[in-house]
Amino acid sequence: MALLTDAAKAFIGYRSEPFAACETVERGAVRRYAQAIMDPDPAYAEAMAPYGAPIAPPIFPSFMFRTPFGAPDFLTDNAEDPDFDGIVMGVGNGLPPLPLDGLALLNGGAEIEFLAYARHGETVLQSSRYADIYERETKSGPMIFVIIETEFTTEAGQVLLRARKTIIRR
Amino acid sequence: MSERIDFEDVAIGDQLAPLERGRFTTAHLMRWSAAMENWHKIHYDQPFAIGHDKLPGLLINGSLKQNFIAQLLKDWAGRTGWVWKINFQFRAMNVVGEKLTVWATVTGKREAAEFGLIDLDVGIRNDKGVESTPGKAVVALPYRGRATVPYPFVPPAM
Repeated sequence: MALLTDAAKAFIGYRSEPFAACETVERGAVRRYAQAIMDPDPAYAEAMAPYGAPIAPPIFPSFMFRTPFGAPDFLTDNAEDPDFDGIVMGVGNGLPPLPLDGLALLNGGAEIEFLAYARHGETVLQSSRYADIYERETKSGPMIFVIIETEFTTEAGQVLLRARKTIIRR
Repeated sequence: MSERIDFEDVAIGDQLAPLERGRFTTAHLMRWSAAMENWHKIHYDQPFAIGHDKLPGLLINGSLKQNFIAQLLKDWAGRTGWVWKINFQFRAMNVVGEKLTVWATVTGKREAAEFGLIDLDVGIRNDKGVESTPGKAVVALPYRGRATVPYPFVPPAM
């Protein structure tokens, strides 16, 4: 049975306008993230050469796009739904959700290109694109592969990283 | 964290000192879910993970595992080198209770004008020896006796 509909395929090529994360790179957020990934690098707490200021872990910018003040409470809104998987993407990546209701979501991997670290206090922006959406038959049955390309930059225009992510829906 | 590792210090076939992580508990996964503010139930709600999503147990987040690969390479490159590219696939699941070994092996060396490039295979093996996160990476290292890799990084024209 084919999972992928024309309605979902129509999103290929859609690109979001660049938009800023709801907060700047906060010291406390960096600390909690560094502790959770178990990385004791002192550059996350104090300025070290050659970065000029305390930095955030390499992939941190891609996790900055969180649920802002005033946003609806998805956990309460979905509390009665036995199929709600708990995924709260914050403001997500600026891309509209694909019409693939009821399909589980798995992280299939990524390619990341790093150019600089985000420094404490900086504003980070992102712009994303549905680069491809296709279906493949696998050992575990049909799966949809969603390829999302995202670029993260500072307000000053410095590219921090570029990510090409594969999301699997099945 | 390496003090300074130069292009000339590295040989094809070299294995980086691995990063050992775990044994993973549900608390590790909750700490990561809280740090990134995402509440995907497959990482802490066992009835949902097994009963609804038909998974073998509570999954160690792929989003967490990718950070381990970045950390291994970053600490090896030191502050005078730069991790330029990493790609990886989430090929197999890791579940609560496992220990993970994050590894990298040098597979190639290329010379750019201002610095050298090291190609690596990377991955994450659990304590049963199963590879879950195979991938590749490119790390820029300075030439011996020459300037450190520029920061912010400027990709080489190749």
